[in-house]
Amino acid sequence: MNVLEVNNISKQYDGVKAVDGISFAVKEGQIFGLLGPNGAGKTSTMRMIMNITAPDSGEIRLFGEPFHDALKQRIGYLPEERGLYPKMKVLDHLAFLGEMKGMAAKTAYAQARQWLERVGLAEWADKKVQELSKGMQQKVQFVGTLLHQPDLVIMDEPFSGLDPLNAKFLKDILLEYKRSGKTIILSTHLMDQAEKLCEAICLINKGRVALSGSLAEIKQKFSHNVVNLEYDGDGTFVASLPLVERVNDYGHAMHITLKDGADPNALLKAVVEQGLRVYRFEVAETTLDEIFIDVVGGQHGQN
Amino acid sequence: MGKIKTIVKKEIKLKVMTKGFLIGTLLGPVIILLFSFGPAFFIALSEKKPVNLVVVENTGRLQSEFQKVFSDTLENGMPRFRITFMDSLTFQQKQNELFDQLEKGKLKAVVVIPSTIFSSGKAIYYSKSASDIDFISNLKERLSNVVNREKMRQAGVDPLLVERLSTPVKLETRKVQKGSVQKSNVGQVWAMAFVFTMMLYMTSIFYGNAVMRGVLEEKTSRIVEILLSSINAFQLMLGKIIGIGLVGLIQYLFWGLMGIVGFVLVSVSKPEFVKYLQVQPSAFAYFVIFFLIGYFQIAGLFAAVGSMASSEEDMQPLSMPVNMLVVIPFIMGFSVIGNPGSSLGQILSFIPFFTPLIMFLRVLLISPPWYEVWGAIALNIGAIVLFGWISARIYRVGILMYGKRPNLPEIIRWIRYA
Repeated sequence: MNVLEVNNISKQYDGVKAVDGISFAVKEGQIFGLLGPNGAGKTSTMRMIMNITAPDSGEIRLFGEPFHDALKQRIGYLPEERGLYPKMKVLDHLAFLGEMKGMAAKTAYAQARQWLERVGLAEWADKKVQELSKGMQQKVQFVGTLLHQPDLVIMDEPFSGLDPLNAKFLKDILLEYKRSGKTIILSTHLMDQAEKLCEAICLINKGRVALSGSLAEIKQKFSHNVVNLEYDGDGTFVASLPLVERVNDYGHAMHITLKDGADPNALLKAVVEQGLRVYRFEVAETTLDEIFIDVVGGQHGQN
Repeated sequence: MGKIKTIVKKEIKLKVMTKGFLIGTLLGPVIILLFSFGPAFFIALSEKKPVNLVVVENTGRLQSEFQKVFSDTLENGMPRFRITFMDSLTFQQKQNELFDQLEKGKLKAVVVIPSTIFSSGKAIYYSKSASDIDFISNLKERLSNVVNREKMRQAGVDPLLVERLSTPVKLETRKVQKGSVQKSNVGQVWAMAFVFTMMLYMTSIFYGNAVMRGVLEEKTSRIVEILLSSINAFQLMLGKIIGIGLVGLIQYLFWGLMGIVGFVLVSVSKPEFVKYLQVQPSAFAYFVIFFLIGYFQIAGLFAAVGSMASSEEDMQPLSMPVNMLVVIPFIMGFSVIGNPGSSLGQILSFIPFFTPLIMFLRVLLISPPWYEVWGAIALNIGAIVLFGWISARIYRVGILMYGKRPNLPEIIRWIRYA
């Protein structure tokens, strides 16, 4: 069953098309990645899913129904630009967010207490939000999104600005949440995160869908012979080798995409013969990062 | 509806449980009373003591008349005036000493009455201040009385007749309302109208600005988008406006209780003051009605302004026009308070934004017919709906916009967005 269906939605701001005919669907129980470079239209799309802004055209169905107010209670939304009332007490604030999602005050307080216990902020319950560190406030924001146990969680760039500890913490919570059968939609421009977490993605660029489907299928489709090379020396010649399609060079490491049918062994031989010091030579499948650069970069090239 | 209630609850909790609210609630009436009654109070205080006068007069014939005319007492039983008589020779000898006393305030005035007073009608008044108009006109009246009595006596009029002829006139005012005549004191009604107007003005500005600041705070703290995932923009705006409006009513409730306690205390300790405190109960009802109308009219616009701004500095120029919608009626109120029956007052009392203050003043001062009052109220409810709608359209777009302050064409475009 599809938890979310987005059909050909468009949105224009002052003559600029932020979203231009986007369609995708999210299956129940998935972690779904809405990917794309900054300014691709991810936030606009998410705001339309939440009915914070209305699409100019197209249709959005949540849980099989067109939008109505009560559906908001079944969704937990964490926007990219997020904050809390600085002067409110932590526990009161969480309970307030829960009540806004239709929880009874008593249940909201009880759940909030449990969550604070779980994330290690129990002794901060009666402190004002402004007394918390930024990392703690981020935790409170996550908890606020999940407190009412939504069937669908939508998070816009949830990992941006997190320290590694909080990023891991959030990832663990999301995975656990997913295992309980809930659906999660993430937007991110961090491809390695998406690659590790998501089962399906929709890559948008300039307001249009560039690529969508299950991650496995997409990788299959884009799997070229890709070689990861770690080296020392001047590697600029690699790009001009006849068997090489494309190179992404980092100076001491490069991702090399081979032409169809080319033999990785021939590449290794050529590299060693040219006098490069090879530390690591690995035949790998395409990363989402590569696909992203391929798709988005290719489109940039066209324009 | 339930979610609006959650927002309302949160606003009240967040605003009422603060030191600022407590201080404002306790000091508000003190400040208003100080502003409105301070000067009058100090004058009243100075009237508690007898006024020292020196009268320079050579004939010696006027003294008995002086004593009769200046014989009244203060409320505490002390004589209102203490008069020292001296002749012009003594006055010349003591002049420096007397003028010194004038400067120090020990002596209120020296009045020199020349022997030509009966023909010229002129006397000289020495005092520290020559602009003490109330006192001077009072003194002038009394001196005329003294001189006239002496003239009559000289003309051989029977002293009893003199008494009867020179009884001063006292004006007692009556206010006509709803077909009945009530004893009232113009100064007291005026003062009450002034205090109420002042309160209406201060609270409208204060709570309107609280809405604006609250909206901006939600925007800058970036909670607004989280809230919009639970509730739509209109509900959010309405919840905030109702919440802060209720905080205002809670404050009035406190003030009302303080007023009742004060009234009881005064009527127990000083029953004679109760007659100065007659306020009709309907005045309070109208006060609440006009506060709510004024507040709801202005609060939506303040919310819209808050949503347009991205920072405190942004907000100042944007809030100017909306603040003016409260300030201008308040200023116009001064001319209406002086002349509540004027057609200017009548016209203004029907114009939205002016109605709450001006119609309220008219209700207090001249009791206009009910259909005027309720007609204006109906008109204003229409205005609340209209301006509320416009504000909500602006607010909905504004709260998600950061960066540059919008200009007028942009704001108009926002209103037109789907």
